Amino acid sequence: MTATLDHGAAPLVRRAASRPLKQLVVPYLYVLPAALFVAAFLLYPMVLTAWRSLTHFDGISDPTFAGLDNFRDLFADPHFLLSLRNTVIWTVAAVVFPVTLGLVFALAFSRVRWGGFFKTVIYLPATISAAAAGILFSFVFNYDNGILNMILRGIGLSGLASRWLFDVPTNTFAMIATYTWQQTGLNMMLFLVGLQGLPPEPIEAAKIEGCTGWNLVRRIILPMLMPYVVITTLLAIVNGFKVFDLIWVMTQGGPGRASETLAVTMYREGFILFKQGYSAAIAVVISIVALAFSYFYLRSVLEQEARQ
Amino acid sequence: MSAEIGEATGVAREAKFTSALILTVFWVLPIALLVMSAFKTPIEFSSTSTLALPQSFHLFDNIARAWAKGMASGFVNSAIYGVVASVISVILAAMAAYGIVRLRIPQGMFWFLLIYSGTIFPFQMYLIPLFNLYLDTGLYDTRIGIIAFYVAITIPFCMFVMRGFFLTVSWQIQEAAALDGANSWATFWRIMMPMARAPLILLVLIQFTWIWNDLLFGLVLTKSESVRPIMVALAGMQGVYGASDGPSVIAATLVGSAPTLILFLALQRYFVRGLTLGMGER
Repeated sequence: MTATLDHGAAPLVRRAASRPLKQLVVPYLYVLPAALFVAAFLLYPMVLTAWRSLTHFDGISDPTFAGLDNFRDLFADPHFLLSLRNTVIWTVAAVVFPVTLGLVFALAFSRVRWGGFFKTVIYLPATISAAAAGILFSFVFNYDNGILNMILRGIGLSGLASRWLFDVPTNTFAMIATYTWQQTGLNMMLFLVGLQGLPPEPIEAAKIEGCTGWNLVRRIILPMLMPYVVITTLLAIVNGFKVFDLIWVMTQGGPGRASETLAVTMYREGFILFKQGYSAAIAVVISIVALAFSYFYLRSVLEQEARQ
Repeated sequence: MSAEIGEATGVAREAKFTSALILTVFWVLPIALLVMSAFKTPIEFSSTSTLALPQSFHLFDNIARAWAKGMASGFVNSAIYGVVASVISVILAAMAAYGIVRLRIPQGMFWFLLIYSGTIFPFQMYLIPLFNLYLDTGLYDTRIGIIAFYVAITIPFCMFVMRGFFLTVSWQIQEAAALDGANSWATFWRIMMPMARAPLILLVLIQFTWIWNDLLFGLVLTKSESVRPIMVALAGMQGVYGASDGPSVIAATLVGSAPTLILFLALQRYFVRGLTLGMGER
């Protein structure tokens, strides 16, 4: 064991000095192909986006430098402000529903008969694409013969039957419901991993002292599970903030532009309205917020790994 | 063992089982009811209740119609993109990880961060310049173009995982190979890659699923029916035929979701391990 841990510097640094030229070149032959792919297709466009956000650019004529004009315009643009508001609603809902339900399901399915089967079924929606889920649920939410309205009319609640995907803000909540259906399984799996790692002793001790059911969950299990709650919540924020596919297939951000989120607004401004500089500024805003939460997420994951 | 939440008494256990069963049924109910629509003819679909049992069996007709309406090329394209791009990506990523960890490229941390930084930013940060770059270079709306992008976007995560794996491989093995006269290429292919079979397969599965499920980059980088991936094809079908031919759109979406669903069911155990590996990112 010590031998493998001690692979570090000593023997190989000594050898490096006497390495022939070929030996010095070889590692680059392995690393460069991957590095070039990432640099050309990801890093170069990323830097360009940052630069474009400071220009007026329609994709055809030469970009002109605009300083922070685009960002100032953003916060005076009612489309952007509505989109920002929708994104905040999405982000909050993406935490509240899929994470809470994921936790409930993880608790409900641990140590229950058929538990493995239940877990698999709840996780299945996470294996299909957001686009496919969106298409399927746009049929569920259809006004005329959608399953939801059919059931509501069938049980005498016709008054509740709605134009789920056309009314504002109902359509955002219908899409969030779809998102919840898809994401809950993922969160449940993360919580199950957390539950499996809990030490059994405190739980057994609490049970012997008569602490059971909801009390046991609240007083003993939840506090111990807290690191996982934090990690799952931060991941849900990052993902909820970037939602695009589901909205694109269910409402395209409509009616009008009423249900757009930042990711959809960015796509529309850049690829439909060809305001590329403006669109790049939205991309920068999305990135700054997502990066901030990603940072906290990664820090929690690393802390959790260090603890184990 | 895992934490026991329920009480040991029989009644409580049964109550817990029943509520878990109800939750699960409730979860699949919308899709289970929707599947019935995939069996109906378009006329039956629009004239009878969606809750009514199908009067006829037209599932295969519906699939055939969808297949002819542009689903076929999407399905085949995504199968090609998913397999080719994920295999290339995993190999390049493994090579990079090998170069960084085992061959100790100078400034290894720099190279690691350079490649890994590709996974940190939201996708919106690439879209517009990428689109322009593709137009300028003729990569737009080509199979090579979208495969190249899928390779690039999947490399960082694969490199991250393979780096983790190569850090755990014993150094004596490499020393022994070197003593036997094996060069780095032979060591990589004959010793390292066979040892890394489990993470390699897992990564190909994760990335195939990701590529299959992608909509955004398909929308931005492709246009024609012969190049666009499956999810773009499905979204397009929904837009065009969603109102007039619901059953074929539903059937197409179910068929288009089947590959990743089946992959998961067949290799569930590996997937769950992969989930904790990247804590659900991607």
